[in-house]
Amino acid sequence: MINSDLRLKIVHLITNAKEGHIPSSFSVVDIINFVFEKQLNINKRNINSSKRDYFILSKGHSAAALYVVLNKFKILKDKHLLGYGKSKGILGGHPETTKTPGVEASTGSLGHGFPYAVGIALGLKLSKKKNKVITLIGDGECHEGTIWEAANIAVNQNLNNLTVIVDRNESAIQLMKIENLEKKWKAFGWDVIVADGHSKKSLVKAFKKIKFSLKPKIIIADTVKGKGVSFLEGHGAWHHKIPNKEELKLIEKELGKSNL
Amino acid sequence: MKMQNLRKKFAKVALDLAKKDPRVVIIVADISHGVFAEFRKKFPNRYFNIGICEPAIVSMAAGLSKVGFIPFVHTIAPFLIERSYEQIKLDFAYQKLNVNLVSTGSSFDYSQLGCSHHCYSDVSLIKKFRGSQIFLPSSELELEGFIKRNYSKKKINYFRLTDNPHGIKLGKKQLSESCMSLSKGDKITVVAVANSLKNIMEVKDLIKNKNTLDIFYINSNKNIDFNKINKSVRKTKKLLVVEELFYKGGIYEDILMNLELKNVQKSEHIAIKDFVHGYGSYEEMKKKSNLNTDSILKKIKKILK
Repeated sequence: MINSDLRLKIVHLITNAKEGHIPSSFSVVDIINFVFEKQLNINKRNINSSKRDYFILSKGHSAAALYVVLNKFKILKDKHLLGYGKSKGILGGHPETTKTPGVEASTGSLGHGFPYAVGIALGLKLSKKKNKVITLIGDGECHEGTIWEAANIAVNQNLNNLTVIVDRNESAIQLMKIENLEKKWKAFGWDVIVADGHSKKSLVKAFKKIKFSLKPKIIIADTVKGKGVSFLEGHGAWHHKIPNKEELKLIEKELGKSNL
Repeated sequence: MKMQNLRKKFAKVALDLAKKDPRVVIIVADISHGVFAEFRKKFPNRYFNIGICEPAIVSMAAGLSKVGFIPFVHTIAPFLIERSYEQIKLDFAYQKLNVNLVSTGSSFDYSQLGCSHHCYSDVSLIKKFRGSQIFLPSSELELEGFIKRNYSKKKINYFRLTDNPHGIKLGKKQLSESCMSLSKGDKITVVAVANSLKNIMEVKDLIKNKNTLDIFYINSNKNIDFNKINKSVRKTKKLLVVEELFYKGGIYEDILMNLELKNVQKSEHIAIKDFVHGYGSYEEMKKKSNLNTDSILKKIKKILK
């Protein structure tokens, strides 16, 4: 298990505010932490600079995972986390770019962040800038038509500065199955790599493989919704559920509560 | 007066701007290829005929705006505004980003193509965003002024191009006003919105008493001088607003919200109330919506009875 500290912070944010999506945040937190640590040039000094790389969380309901990573990298302060869901705070169940440093897009309605990231990548190419753009989408989000519209645009505009990561936590399967996701993206002209979204080693390998690709790139990251706490894993009631006191204790126990 | 072609003029103005401002990019959804040929030739890297995927195009334009570009997004009105409405709402309005939305095919310009290509609600939809700017140019001069003065303002700018301009020559001084007085009268205040001006001026010619109509022309929701209308209504006590827009959420609504009601005996409105079903010419569509000259004349006579 990696990043249990971040998972505990997510649980505490959401439980205190009684709002948020714990399992969806757990499925992406390792990925977001990895890209901030190893892939992107984003830090508290360059957060408003045109030299920064861009991370767009297209599946906005995983916002808590982004917040705790931004906090880890000192872009958000502890006091910001404490204000989660409060009227005087800057954080909530879906991210808002006009309020929150490090949040590049106000997402929540699925299918917006990815085409927006396509525009950012296109703009950076036009300006001959080398900044990287990474956007994280969900496999359920791949039901949206704009995902495939944007997939076509990115290939047609040759956006090799853009990397998409799909959080394949199998949300799609329980609703409307999307078979052969890899083949579909390949058919759209993307360089496709499959990785384990909870394994640093696997993500390192995936990014190494796509480093010199001349096409837009997509990493299909296999994940487990609710990863890290046995009874949160999978699909069902926990999608938007808030733990009670007893459940919180069990979650803390499974994550090995430390002084956080 | 020469035939006005607002699409051609838009392409020319965009080219002028692009020469001076490297932030200007044009994004079209499979339309206006011909008029943008020169732009494409001069600035191949800043002209994108993306394809037929309007919602993604609008989100993409927001991304371009985020990194400092000034996008003009151009296609047929229902697909640009109604189909892509959530993208405009969340990616531009909510995120406070700048865009220039330029539509063609206003109301029922595509009269022979049916209701799928009509668009009546675009103005009311964009008006819902606080600070958005609606421009309804009905001549090349109006269009040029609106775009050049507003394209780089950090707002949602909506330029609604008509294929049926009013054909009335307006002076420079008049064009600088937000509520132009075009004819003095004392029996009824008539507000012509955008290209309805053509019909209102025709009505004026058909009325024997030349002092009947106190005519005003409005072509934008920006800084409308309601004082002029109130002053006129104090005199005439009667108001008629004619707009080739959906009957809710248009310019009439703005006027009503600012009208000194105690002075009004009658306030009437001609606009589009429902899908204008069927096919035919633009003039036939106007007739079906009571926006043609004869219907407006009848309405005025009824109000004045």
